[in-house]
Parts: sequence; C-alpha cells; structure tokens
Amino acid sequence: MENNAVITVELTGRLDTAAAQEVSDKILPLQDKADKTIVLDCSQLNYISSSGLRIFLALRKASAVKGGKVIVKSINDDIRTVFMMTGFLNLFDIEA
Amino acid sequence: MMILVAALMLAATSVIQGYYARRGLLSEAEQRAQRELTITQLRIENVTGPIESALVNTVWMVQMNLSNPDTLQTLLRNLLDSSPVLADAAIGFIPDYYPEKGYWYEPVVARRPNGEYEEMILGSTSHDYFKLDWYEIPARTGEKYWSEPYFDESAGRTTVVSYGIPLKDGEGKLVGVISADLTLEWLSELLHDFQLYPNTYCTLESAGGQMIVSPPAERVDNKTVKYSMQLENTGWDMSIVIPRNEIFKTVNRLSLMLGFLQLMGLMLLGMIAFKSVKDQSKLENVRSKKDKIDNELRIARGIQMSMVPKQFPPFPERKDVDLSATIVPAREVGGDLYDFFIRNDKLFFCIGDVSGKGVPAALVMAVTRSLFRSVSAHEKSPQRIVSSMNESMAEMNDSNMFVTFFCGVLNLYSGHLHFCNAGHNAPILLSDSVERLSVLPNLPLGVMPEMQYVEEDCYLPAGSSLLLYTDGITEAENTSREQFGERRTMEALDPSLGVKENQDRLLACIDEFVGNAERSDDLTMLIIKYLGADKSTETRRSLVLRNDIQQIPLLAEYILAIAEERHLGRSLAMNLNLALEEAVTNVMLYAYPKDTEGLIDIEAELKDNAIVFNISDGGKPFDPTHAPDVDTTKSLEERKIGGLGIHLVRKIMDEVRYTRKDGRNILTMIKNI
Repeated sequence: MENNAVITVELTGRLDTAAAQEVSDKILPLQDKADKTIVLDCSQLNYISSSGLRIFLALRKASAVKGGKVIVKSINDDIRTVFMMTGFLNLFDIEA
Repeated sequence: MMILVAALMLAATSVIQGYYARRGLLSEAEQRAQRELTITQLRIENVTGPIESALVNTVWMVQMNLSNPDTLQTLLRNLLDSSPVLADAAIGFIPDYYPEKGYWYEPVVARRPNGEYEEMILGSTSHDYFKLDWYEIPARTGEKYWSEPYFDESAGRTTVVSYGIPLKDGEGKLVGVISADLTLEWLSELLHDFQLYPNTYCTLESAGGQMIVSPPAERVDNKTVKYSMQLENTGWDMSIVIPRNEIFKTVNRLSLMLGFLQLMGLMLLGMIAFKSVKDQSKLENVRSKKDKIDNELRIARGIQMSMVPKQFPPFPERKDVDLSATIVPAREVGGDLYDFFIRNDKLFFCIGDVSGKGVPAALVMAVTRSLFRSVSAHEKSPQRIVSSMNESMAEMNDSNMFVTFFCGVLNLYSGHLHFCNAGHNAPILLSDSVERLSVLPNLPLGVMPEMQYVEEDCYLPAGSSLLLYTDGITEAENTSREQFGERRTMEALDPSLGVKENQDRLLACIDEFVGNAERSDDLTMLIIKYLGADKSTETRRSLVLRNDIQQIPLLAEYILAIAEERHLGRSLAMNLNLALEEAVTNVMLYAYPKDTEGLIDIEAELKDNAIVFNISDGGKPFDPTHAPDVDTTKSLEERKIGGLGIHLVRKIMDEVRYTRKDGRNILTMIKNI
C-alpha cells in the first residue's frame, strides 16, 4: 500500500525459515524505496525467527543509508520479547 | 553321521575364525615387538657408542705417549671417567715391549665399589693376558672385538664384557691391545624396563651364545612367541619373548563366547538327531533311500527352525513395536533366516537367504545367525555389523556359499531406521502408500572380504510397517510357471492392518496364486510395525526431519504437543519453538550441504523441572556454539545481518552444549521450567 510516500506492508501468520524466502522476495525490493517511510504492520504476525529478523534488518540498513524510515507497527508481546532479546527494540521505531 | 558333520563344520568355523583373528593379533604383536626391539637397540647403543669413541680417543692418546709408560694410567682414568658402566680399563702390551718392565706389562685402572679408582700393574704367569680373548683376538686379527661375557677375577671382580682395540705405534706395528670392561647390570635394567604385554621378558645373548641378560626365574617357558634382533656392533642377539596367551587374550574370550553359542546349537542338533535316530530305528526294516533323504531334510529343517525366534507376538509388553515372522517350508530345505532382538530401546533385526539348499545351506544359515548375534551384541551400527560378518564369512568361505542379508536398527523412540543391505531384495515400506524402500544393493556376505558396505537411513512414521522377505515369496510359481512377483506382494498388503493380519493375507494370496504347483522354495517374511514411542512410560518425545527448509513448520506442531502435555504457557512454547527452529536451521544451512539428503533427529526429554532437547545429525562437523555472540548494543551501522540464530538459542535456553560423537553433531539445549 503506497500512500503519501508511506509504504505499508502487512505481515500475517508465521514468519519462520520456511516462509522467509517468499517474504524476502516481496520485501527486499523495497530497499530501492528506502528513502520513504516504510511501515511494517505486524498486528497479524504471531511468530518470527532470525530469518525474518534478517529481512527487517536489511531493510532498516537500506533506509538509514537513503534517509528513510522503517516503522514496526503493532507487534504482540511475544514478538516484542524477540525484539528485546536481539536488541531490535533500539534499532526500529516501534509503534503501537 | 549328520551331527558329526554339523559339529565338524561348526568347529571348523570357529577354528578358521580364530585363526584369522589370531593371525591379526600376532602380526600386531610382531610389529610392537620389533618397535620395542629397535628402541631398546638405540638405548643400548646410546651407552656403547660413547664408550667406543672414548676408547678410540684413548688409543690415539696412548700412541702419543708410548714413550712415557708411567703416564698411561692417567689416560685410563680419563677413559673410565667417560662412562659409569666401565668397570675397568687396561692396556696389555706385547711381550717385552718395554724391556725394563719385563715380559708382561699391563697397566690397569679399576673402579672400586666406593667409586674410587685403583691402579694396578698386572701380567704374570698366573695372569697371562696373552691367552685371554680380549687380548689374543684383537692382537691376532688386528680388529676391534667384543668379548663373550666372563667373570673378571683380576680387576673388577664382576661379570663383564670386554671391548678390545689393537694398539699400534707410529709405524703401524702392533704394540698391544687396549681394552675396557663393561659391567652388565645396566643392560638388565634397560631390558627389564618395558612392559609390552604382561609376563613379557627380554633376553640378550652374546654372539657366542652366552646369556648377557637371562630370562627371569619365574617365566612361562612353553607357548611363547619370540622376536629377535641382532645388534650391529656387538653381534649380540636381543629377543623379546611373549606368552602366546597374552597376545590372544581377547580372541580367546571371543572364542569362548562363540564356542558356547555353538555348543548350544550342537545340543539342539543332538536332540533332533537323537529323535531322528529313534525314528530311523523304527523304520529300519523298511528303510529306503528316500526315507534317509527325508530324514536329512528333517534335520536340516530342524537346524533352521531352531535358530529363528518363533514366539509371536515376541514383545507383548511393548506398545511401540510389533513383529511377526514365519518360514513356510518347501519340500527342499533352503537357508533362509531372520532374527531380531531389542537392546536399549533399539530393535535390531535381519533377514537373510543362503545360496544353495539342503544341509549345507542350513549349516551356513546357523553360522550366519550366530555371527549376527555375536557381532550385534556389542555393535549398534548396521554397517559395522554387516562388514564384520562379511569379513568372517569371506575369510572362511571355501565352499563358495554366500548369503544375501539385510540388517536394520530401528530407534524405537524416534522411528529413525539405520540399515545396511548385503545383496538382499529391498524391503517394502507400508505407510501412506505401499512402496519399495530405496536401498543400495551392495554385495552379498561372503563374496568379497574387503567389501565396503554403505549404511543408509530413513524415518518410519508411527503406524508404518516394514516387510522384509526372501525371494521365495516373489518367485513362487503357479502351474503356468508365472511368478508371484513384487506387484502382487505389494497389493496383498494393507498399511492399516497389524503384522499378523498382513502376514496371513500375503500367505493366503500366495497360496491361492500357486494353487497345485509344487512349492520349490521356502517362503520367509518378517513384518515390523512401528507404533510410535510409548507415551505412557516414555518421557522422550521425538521428531525426525528431512534436510529441507519446508519441514520447519513441523517443529511448531511438535512443540505444541509438548506444551499441551506439560501445560507450558504460550510464550514459553513460542520461545522453545524459536530456539529449536534456529538450531535446526543451522544444521540445514551448515551441517548438510545444500540439496543433500539427510535426517535430523530431534528429541525432547521431559524432566520434572527441565526439558532437555537433543538435536543430532549425520552432516559434516558443525559447532554452532563456537560462533562469537552478537553484540546487541551495537549501533545500526555496526550490526551484522547474521549470527542472530545462535544468539536467540543462547538467550532462550539455560544451557547449550555441542558434542561430536560417532560421526554425528549433537546439540544439547536445556530449558529449566
């Protein structure tokens, strides 16, 4: 969803290693648009493993280079724990 | 007669087996002994070498000082200083060399027990050194000489060997002999200073056959093996003597075990033979050749049937596995066999078919079964079981009989099956569908001694069955000489049925197919049904995954079941799922090369206050705990993309350990609850 230079991506279900390849194919092209604000809507995401976190991190790095923004929206408590364990809470803008 | 043949063949088997095992141990003993001899030789030369050079130097010094006979003892003192094993040193001059000193002139320096040197001038009618070997031989031959050991009465008063060198003046004319006497205690110490095998000893003999180092008083005299070496300079013979029973200790134990097994077999045979002799005596009057043949067949059949398990169900108390097996005899006896047993919750099983028929085949079958039992008693890898059996059978195979054989070991918690085939037909797997198990053929047992057998593995889902059979089933012929074949075999089976039902169905189908045609070969089958780990008593839960990223979602179901059973919270379950996924993904990415086939065993042991996960794989060595931990406090620019997986494992689990064992990576992760 592209709107006023804000790109929103909705993630649903389980982002495990098996799903990561497909998700990566969809999200990594956004690195080209990393000068904009990208919102990762996680309200329907209930699991993420390191393969998924790597995609988030790659996108975040690209946005830092191009001067954009990555907002992680509506993560549940379990995923918040994973973000905490990996130090991702400090790397991303987390929105409720 | 039959029993005699059987006894002879069994005896021959063990003799041959023992012979080769002994030959191997003997050659090992020889290598060890030769190495020991070489080392000891070097240690002796470490002592004698410096003495020889010191003596050569002394000869040179004496030549320089021939005009001062009274200074010579100083030179001999210096010689004794060079080595503590020298008891004394002497120069024996030729008759009347120094006219003023008389006919004999022998300056001597001897070491006294208190360490002081004593100077003497010897040589007289009572000590006529011209007749002693140390002088006489170098003087006559002009060569260096190591004497035989002797008791030196004149100087050191101990047993010594002398080393003599001819002494010449500036013009090369012989003027005497310089000799040093070596004590021998150090040799005894040096030669007793090793233990190759218990009760082993070492001897040293002079070139003339005198004992320099004697065997110990308490020793084994008969039944020993002796390895010798001649020392170059001295010509001494050094030997190591090893009692045969020390070398063969291990094989003797094995023989004892095998002997016991064979004795049991023979007793059974004896009973059968006794019974048939009784039968024979009844029929004596009307005995024909046909009866005799029938009797032999009955004996062979008796041997065969006495060697296979016949109690079914064999493990009525177990809820994780059921088996059924049968040999339906044809008129002629074949050499089919099957066997199975459970050890440490692993089901060991095998099926085999001996080439040929009749009594010889039955006896080879009995030997094969004994070998299977004795080898698998201490071995859990089917590949090593098969290889070891093949070595024994190929070595003793004079009759050119061979055995097609399939051996499997099924882990009863996990359903992980390891197997090794030796030329047998592939088993049939009954799970969702009925299909032939993919199996490498390899060569039958007994064909090639050095055959490299390949072990394979697969996963039996709970509820699946495995049919092992001999070609008597697929090659059963009907009256129009058509074979029953593999397709009909597979069609006769139903994965949902129990082992006995499937067995009965298959036999009924064959019966119907064959009709009135003569049955030419035994019908032998073994059906194993794996029912899954017994959760009522078993605290372990297992999962086997293929090396495929798409298998990862199965971990979620696996953890969910454990979480429900143990009433674990949703967050904890998710964390465990995450740690497990990271560990398994690492195996798939790093231990198994991309696109190779491989299995990953996951086992969770549910303890009262902890869950212990063991993840093991047969891939290349990979230690995930070796990687440095990710620094989560670093800034975005410095953060690396990788390394998060093992970091999460460490964060979630209370303990993470890696070991490499039996060619497998094992990652243990413990979560306290």
